[in-house]
Amino acid sequence: MTQREKNAVWQGTLSLMVLRTLLTMGEQHGYGIARRIEQTSGGQLSINYGTLYPALLKLEQEGLIASSWGTSDNNRKAKFYRLTKAGRKQIERDTRQWEATSAIMTRFLAPGEE
Amino acid sequence: MKSIRAWVHRLAGAFAGRRSEHELAAELDSHLQLHVDDNLRAGMTPDEARRRAMIALGGVESTKEAYRDRRGLPVLESLARDLRYGARTLTRSPGFAFAGILILGLGIGVNSAIFTVVNAVVLRPLPFADSERIVKLWHTPPQTTFAGMKIFSLSPANFIDWEEQSRSFAAMAIYRGGSRTLTGRGDPEALRTVRASSSFLPIFGLAPTLGRGFTAAEDGDGVPATVLLSETLWRTRFGADPAVVGQTLLLDFQPHTVVGVVPNPSFLDEVAIWVPLAWKPTDRAVRDNHNYSAVARLKPGVSVAQAQTDLDTISLRLAAQYPADNKDWGALVVPLQDDLVGEARPALLLLLGAVALVLLIACANLANLMLVRTHGRAKEIALRGALGASRARVVQQLLAEGVLLGIGGGVAGFLAAFYGVDALMATFGEALPRAQEVAVDGRVLAFTAVLSLVTGLAAAFAPAWQLTGRDANEVLKQGTSRGSSSAGDGRVRSLLVVSEVALALMLLIGAGLLMRSLNGLRAVDPGFDARSVLTASIGIPEQKYATPEQRNQFFDRALQGIRALPGVESAAWVDSLPLQGGSSQYVAPEGAPPMQASELPVVALRLASPGYFGTARIRILAGRDFTERDTLGRPGVVILSERTAARFWPGQDPIGKHVTLTMMSPAPREVVGIVAEVKTSALDAGVSDSETAIYAPASQFAFNGTSLMVRTTVPPERLAQSIVGVVRTLDPEQPVLEIQPMQRVVEESLGQRPTAMWLLGAFAILALVLASVGIYSVLAYTVRQRVREIGIRMALGAPSAGVLRLVVLDGLKPTLAGVLLGLGLAAALVRVMAALLFGVSPHDPSTFVSVTLLVTLVGTLATLIPAYRATRVDPVVTLRAE
Repeated sequence: MTQREKNAVWQGTLSLMVLRTLLTMGEQHGYGIARRIEQTSGGQLSINYGTLYPALLKLEQEGLIASSWGTSDNNRKAKFYRLTKAGRKQIERDTRQWEATSAIMTRFLAPGEE
Repeated sequence: MKSIRAWVHRLAGAFAGRRSEHELAAELDSHLQLHVDDNLRAGMTPDEARRRAMIALGGVESTKEAYRDRRGLPVLESLARDLRYGARTLTRSPGFAFAGILILGLGIGVNSAIFTVVNAVVLRPLPFADSERIVKLWHTPPQTTFAGMKIFSLSPANFIDWEEQSRSFAAMAIYRGGSRTLTGRGDPEALRTVRASSSFLPIFGLAPTLGRGFTAAEDGDGVPATVLLSETLWRTRFGADPAVVGQTLLLDFQPHTVVGVVPNPSFLDEVAIWVPLAWKPTDRAVRDNHNYSAVARLKPGVSVAQAQTDLDTISLRLAAQYPADNKDWGALVVPLQDDLVGEARPALLLLLGAVALVLLIACANLANLMLVRTHGRAKEIALRGALGASRARVVQQLLAEGVLLGIGGGVAGFLAAFYGVDALMATFGEALPRAQEVAVDGRVLAFTAVLSLVTGLAAAFAPAWQLTGRDANEVLKQGTSRGSSSAGDGRVRSLLVVSEVALALMLLIGAGLLMRSLNGLRAVDPGFDARSVLTASIGIPEQKYATPEQRNQFFDRALQGIRALPGVESAAWVDSLPLQGGSSQYVAPEGAPPMQASELPVVALRLASPGYFGTARIRILAGRDFTERDTLGRPGVVILSERTAARFWPGQDPIGKHVTLTMMSPAPREVVGIVAEVKTSALDAGVSDSETAIYAPASQFAFNGTSLMVRTTVPPERLAQSIVGVVRTLDPEQPVLEIQPMQRVVEESLGQRPTAMWLLGAFAILALVLASVGIYSVLAYTVRQRVREIGIRMALGAPSAGVLRLVVLDGLKPTLAGVLLGLGLAAALVRVMAALLFGVSPHDPSTFVSVTLLVTLVGTLATLIPAYRATRVDPVVTLRAE
């Protein structure tokens, strides 16, 4: 995978990843979310950390996550994000939709089943 | 839902400002720290740890930028930024900002002021419930006898028939103005009255403040005499005493019971007392005497046109039924608002058009100023373009400056209008209907706001477009710090000057035509001499002066007393003063074939005392004046105006012939004299048959009301008190009304014209000043641009005179083009003011020529200062500077 392809994480997908990460890890700061996504992808995905913040802001504006300032494990001040009720519902909806889409795509791309 | 929520957040975010900016910085900082910590733990050196973290974050500034775009609404923010930037630029050049705001403020101010008046008088509906359904009803007289008269008052019998037969009206009311003398409460006072049917006030939705209104029974006779007080009179004269209902007032010495207090409809605000119709059966039967007004309320869903058709049908039926009185008499339905303001509308709309032109000029002027100024910024703008600013973005920034100037001008203009309207109304309000309703309201505010933004944007648009359309490369390549002027710039600036000159010329022509009309009207020979004449009117109560002899005696004695006053040259009575209209009547001349009453010739009848013609200086052409002997019980006599006689008996000697005033008495009257024509109804009245006059001795009719005319050897106003004194010695309870010099009566008959002329003249001069400032500023700029060229010319030996000619001609070209364009436009547009012109063609050559000369002269003067400056250019200094 080239660097360019590696970066191609489009907005809707990134949002779902963020929500999903928060569901798994609970309250987390921006840096932590970014690292977690990177790790989960097994190093396949390298997100420009900077693109994460507008996405977080958008989710917050839509009421899917909420934020507050707190202290990190190693005693740094950081802004922590957590899921809201609406956020949890959104995960269910998006997950269903994503599964449906990927199932269809899988069927299309499966070799030699004509 | 989700996205609406997000938008609300973003809108709020647009105004969040500093705080969230700090928060973002802190968050990114903490992100970096966390990453650096991780990297350190992974064993990197502190520098390397930091560098890697920065790379992964992908640039703090671009992150912030992306975040900001998401946080707020970028368009809104850039607009706010542009406005802030614009405000800073403007405060850096206060002279330009002041000039811009002043120019726009003038333009917007006059527009807001005139719009305030137009809004209140023409646009705003009358202040009654469903006022668009209230109409005025008129007769239309036969054109054979009343040539040129479009409307006529109503007769009672016809009104009653209209009311019974029409199906279009929810209610109809008839009324008539008058005056009655209130006595027994301090000084006697003549009060304006309206005698109205019981349906009158309900048509306007006006309910009594106190007591009751009139009842249907009071439309007829045989019920006790009652009156209603107007609220104004109740407050001023009766101290708003609620116990006034039930009290008795002496009006014309007859007791009347006050039954209520009512608010006046605004167009009758001078009325003090309302009296019931109280028609006797004989009053109801009058069909040939037209002296009532009528209003009506249309039924819901009925249009004015339908009501008109309805009354047309009825009129035809009545004409067939009563040919003697009604042949060719029609009906006219006019919305009340049109009836009230119709006459003022052309003048007001003309003024509104004029101030719109002034604003256009102001706008062009500002555009010019901005063009010249932004030109100095050509490099800055080209640089922005080169650095990737989109054209729209740069235009937006320039427009923001225009908007700021527009807002400044709008505020200045609104304040000017707010205070100016009062002054305007104090000076010109008298000639205007609904003047008391004129006030600044929300609509004026909105009008001003829209005007400010539009003019600000319009003025900024031309320079913005011009500057950004350039090739950035070209501009940047040029060596001088100022961008040099391209051919395109010059064209735009010239066009702006051309249009300014054209608009100013149009306004001047309008003002010039009005001035000529006014001079023409003032030069009209009214047939009498208004100088050194004082007039007044007087009405004596018939109850007190019951017999004709008593009435004649009162008027004779009063006249003797007045004639004996020092400073009085002569004095006389006449029932209606010249120019004020009056009674028009059917007259049967001797020798005419028998015909229907309504086919008889109509002439203006005036009842005058002996000495009237001498006092008014109306020439007696043949025969004699009335004498003291032409009185009650003596043979009836009349005096004819020259054209009346020629009309009745062309080519014959009228003296000694007879006429019958059929509406007054059946007895023929002998013609004893012929006098010159007088303008009986208005100065601009055309020469029509109904304007010709017939005079009869007042004492042979002994009516109770008349006007006084006194020729004085001292300034006429000085005699007012002594005349009232003479009347009071005869009857301490007798008021004298409407004391004013005859000159004022003449002025009043000029109508809206003086107002329109003064205002239009003022606007035209304002326009000319703005236009010459425009010419001056453009030329001054061009000279500055061409300083090098001029320097070279002079170094090569060009004489000062040659340079002067060069610059003046340069400036004159757009001026002359503007003059030509303006002449063309004016010739096409003057027709709109035809209604205001008198005795002058809309294409009056002398006006067109003199205005053209004036504009060209002013235009030339405006070029002289820059041209002179050009001749002072020192070639050595100029060339060295490069």
